[in-house]
Amino acid sequence: MENQQDFQYTRQISQQYPQDKRFLLAILQDIQKEYNYLPRESLYMVQEYMDIPLAKLYSMATFYKALSLKPKGRYIIKVCDGTACHIRASQTLTDEISKILKIAPGQTTSDGRFSLETVNCLGSCAAAPVIVVNDRFYGKVTPSMVKTIIDEYGGIYS
Amino acid sequence: MKNQSMRINKILVCCGPGCLSNDSLDIYEALKNKIESDKPYISIETTVKATGCHGFCEIGPLIKFLPLDFFYCNVKVSDVEEIYQKTIKNGEIIERLLYHDQNSNQKIKSPEEAGFYKGQKKIALRNVGEIDPLSIDDYMKRGGYKALKKALLKSTTEQIISEVEESGLRGRGGAGFPTGFKWRQCAQMQNFPKYIICNGDEGDPGAFMDRSILEGDPHSIIEGMVIGAYAVDSHSGFMYIRDEYFLAIKNMTKALEQARNYGYLGQDILGSGYDFDIQIVRGGGAFVCGESTALMASIEGRVGEPRAKYIRSVEKGLWDKPTVLNNVETWANIPVIINEGASRFKSIGTAQSPGTKVFSLVGKVKNTGLIEVPMGMTLRQIIYDIGGGIALNKKFKAVQTGGPSGGCIPEQLLDLKVDFDSLDKAGSMMGSGGMIVMDETTCMVDVAKYYLAFLSEESCGKCVPCREGIRRILVILEDICNGRAQDEDLDLLIEICETVQATALCGLGKTAPNPVITTIKYFKDEYIAHIRDKRCPAGVCKELTIYSIDKDKCKSCGLCAKNCPSSAIKQEQSKIFTIDQTKCTKCGACVDICNFHAVKIGGALACR
Amino acid sequence: MQIIIDKVKCEAKLGETLLTIARRNNIHIPTLCHSDALAGQGNCRMCMVEVSEGKTKKMVASCIYPVTKSIEVITNSETLTKMRKTLVMLLSARVPHNNTILKLRQEYNLPPVTRFKSDDEEECILCGLCTRACDEMGISAISTVNRGINKKVSTPFEEPSTVCIGCGACAHVCPTGAIKIEDIGEERIIWEKSFELLRCSNCGKPFITRVGFEYIKNKINTEIETVCENCRKDAITKKLRDIYGF
Repeated sequence: MENQQDFQYTRQISQQYPQDKRFLLAILQDIQKEYNYLPRESLYMVQEYMDIPLAKLYSMATFYKALSLKPKGRYIIKVCDGTACHIRASQTLTDEISKILKIAPGQTTSDGRFSLETVNCLGSCAAAPVIVVNDRFYGKVTPSMVKTIIDEYGGIYS
Repeated sequence: MKNQSMRINKILVCCGPGCLSNDSLDIYEALKNKIESDKPYISIETTVKATGCHGFCEIGPLIKFLPLDFFYCNVKVSDVEEIYQKTIKNGEIIERLLYHDQNSNQKIKSPEEAGFYKGQKKIALRNVGEIDPLSIDDYMKRGGYKALKKALLKSTTEQIISEVEESGLRGRGGAGFPTGFKWRQCAQMQNFPKYIICNGDEGDPGAFMDRSILEGDPHSIIEGMVIGAYAVDSHSGFMYIRDEYFLAIKNMTKALEQARNYGYLGQDILGSGYDFDIQIVRGGGAFVCGESTALMASIEGRVGEPRAKYIRSVEKGLWDKPTVLNNVETWANIPVIINEGASRFKSIGTAQSPGTKVFSLVGKVKNTGLIEVPMGMTLRQIIYDIGGGIALNKKFKAVQTGGPSGGCIPEQLLDLKVDFDSLDKAGSMMGSGGMIVMDETTCMVDVAKYYLAFLSEESCGKCVPCREGIRRILVILEDICNGRAQDEDLDLLIEICETVQATALCGLGKTAPNPVITTIKYFKDEYIAHIRDKRCPAGVCKELTIYSIDKDKCKSCGLCAKNCPSSAIKQEQSKIFTIDQTKCTKCGACVDICNFHAVKIGGALACR
Repeated sequence: MQIIIDKVKCEAKLGETLLTIARRNNIHIPTLCHSDALAGQGNCRMCMVEVSEGKTKKMVASCIYPVTKSIEVITNSETLTKMRKTLVMLLSARVPHNNTILKLRQEYNLPPVTRFKSDDEEECILCGLCTRACDEMGISAISTVNRGINKKVSTPFEEPSTVCIGCGACAHVCPTGAIKIEDIGEERIIWEKSFELLRCSNCGKPFITRVGFEYIKNKINTEIETVCENCRKDAITKKLRDIYGF
């Protein structure tokens, strides 16, 4: 669970930026990166630091896709569903990953290790279909490659 | 193929978006390590550079060798040892790694010989793939920052604006607004501070032009922005870059730092007394933020909702101050116009759309990749000469331009010249440059549904027509694809589309119906087939497709039955295999596994 | 400056919105997301009109379109009516049982929308007035949440807000009555939060929440009496009568 210590980071992150509304998105993105989501405590701290209504923060947090209020997994598997990937059957990859991890897109495995997301075009259209695990790209992926890729990150615990 | 006199002094490893997904960074590291570790022992003067996109993504990872100008394709990490021993140390060309052009059935050494590169003209991409993006010296060696010196030290702001106006450059972000005119309007405003913005929130599915420039030649954008800022008297600039483009952000951060160190950015630029600096803003992951007013809202730290543009951004933009916003490609064009002059620029392209345009040519085309062509080239030339035609020699059906705001252009318009106005007239638009080729196995209703599903998530939800209209258009399209639609749905679809087009608040909403309108316009028979005959001619919509086995082609090998996950394929007494339609899930496994192309896709579901 | 709206010559000040000018001249333009107390939003698009400027003709949202030169405006063409019909149809599909939209639908002679699955409970058309009003109060207890077709209005985390003062400005400004405000005895419930109501020291009617009263008192930094608006008006009238003797 989150303890006091953890939220030191939120304070540190916030204080790197001036108390100006325009750094709000950047602060939230940094917090997202640190915790893999926006913990409530952090939002309260940002609210206080920036002197901005919580409702505005909540509105931002739910508007931007880069931000999430639910914890995400350690490894975030993004299946590109840009047009090029879509017409090269990216859906079958999503289905396959869903089957292996037993989670639907947008969900995280119960052990908190994997999240599955479908994203809009990652700009690697020539290598379609593409999936990205954290910052690593995999191109021309076929459903049969999916398990091997998941295994690179420790696979599923049975 | 030994060539003792051959001295390779530069190796360019493509680390563009496509090649990166095929381990090109590992190849680069391996090559570098090889050379570094041997350097103390043998005299070797080769440097290896990780560059931006070489363009020909289809056959990546690519490696180019200079000065002899030949290239390898489909390189793997396991090839590095051989490349080092044979090519780098001995100047020997490895045949196996040369590009084999299927259309001419030839092995090709130099990029110039490949159909893919012929006919291209690089302005915005002039350095992409040729330099190490992390080296400002590389950029300067190719004429970088010369335009800045000319602008700041030898020109008046009026001269700069006139030059850009005269060049006829139009915004490469999609709408094609004249750049020079925008600058002039902003320059005339007596309201300070003024702001300069680079829109790098490329979000069109199927487009990676801006990403390639941001990653592969960041200084060209910086140089363009400083010139623009100087011309309109702005001292503060923002670069809004999509958060998913982490490499672009990394390279740009480094480039900004270098530019400051070299005195091209920051205070007293080149001793001219002029100050200007640029900050990077990471996008929050919202397609609508590619819309200029939503982007500005996002920079200000608000949700990215657009506003009506009755008062334009040049008058009241960021923080209600005069603002010039141009996209990545537009900015990258500026230094060339200043350096070489407007008339030179105008000599390329068409009268109304001068210059070139970068496209990401993707989809069912043989040579996918990043291309830059003079405006006015026909779609046919792009798809067949550069793109090499349709992959697997299937039949061309349509090409989609302009992303979710654009439309699908059919075969009868293949000779359409690609420029801002012709594409508009065809019901599509230039957009930022995604060009997605579709073949006979692409269902046009499914394509329309795909875009509208995308937009339903990406609409900001502020105005009624966009939010409620898109939602209902999507419902109707889903019904059509599932075989649940009625004849009158087509009229309703058109009615909603027209209203959304006419009344939505921002560009995203106004253009959202385009994928539907153009597919109805050019592929109405496919809609009718779905609605009336409950049949998907392309065999994409699963509810409307049946798989069957062609008795004449089936060799009774049984491979399909063995691989069917739902045990739907059985052998009948006559030894012929058949598919039980009640069990078939249309996963396509049988189609992929059959060596005799005996599994047929298509036809209506008789049982419905 | 003069502009023409539906063939009527109207005086206009630079920067005024078309809607303001039309209303001043008793020309009816339908609106849903507009309140005279707040700046125009341009969200519902019902108020769109046709503007001709020389040869160019365009459609604009009259509630936010600022007049900068002499123009000619048409508020009720066939195209506009057709579009408004479609907008009303779309809204009816969203809030099938809402009275405001129902009336509008009848006004436009539209049948009930049966083509789409609707949420029978939904009453909100996401016009955005409530969040604006809340912002204007300086509270910002509610905001829009999510985006696209999943957008809605809510308090943070969809829990009772810690900052809401129960002033009811949101419910007051809502064109469709979508925000439930319940006053029972000395209790008000709004956004799932309960507030104590203060009674008017004159007529005894509960009229303001205690936190709301304190908030206003602090904001204007003076002592105020717990008198409801009606009684305050009455008191002023009485005072005037005392002074002028009528």
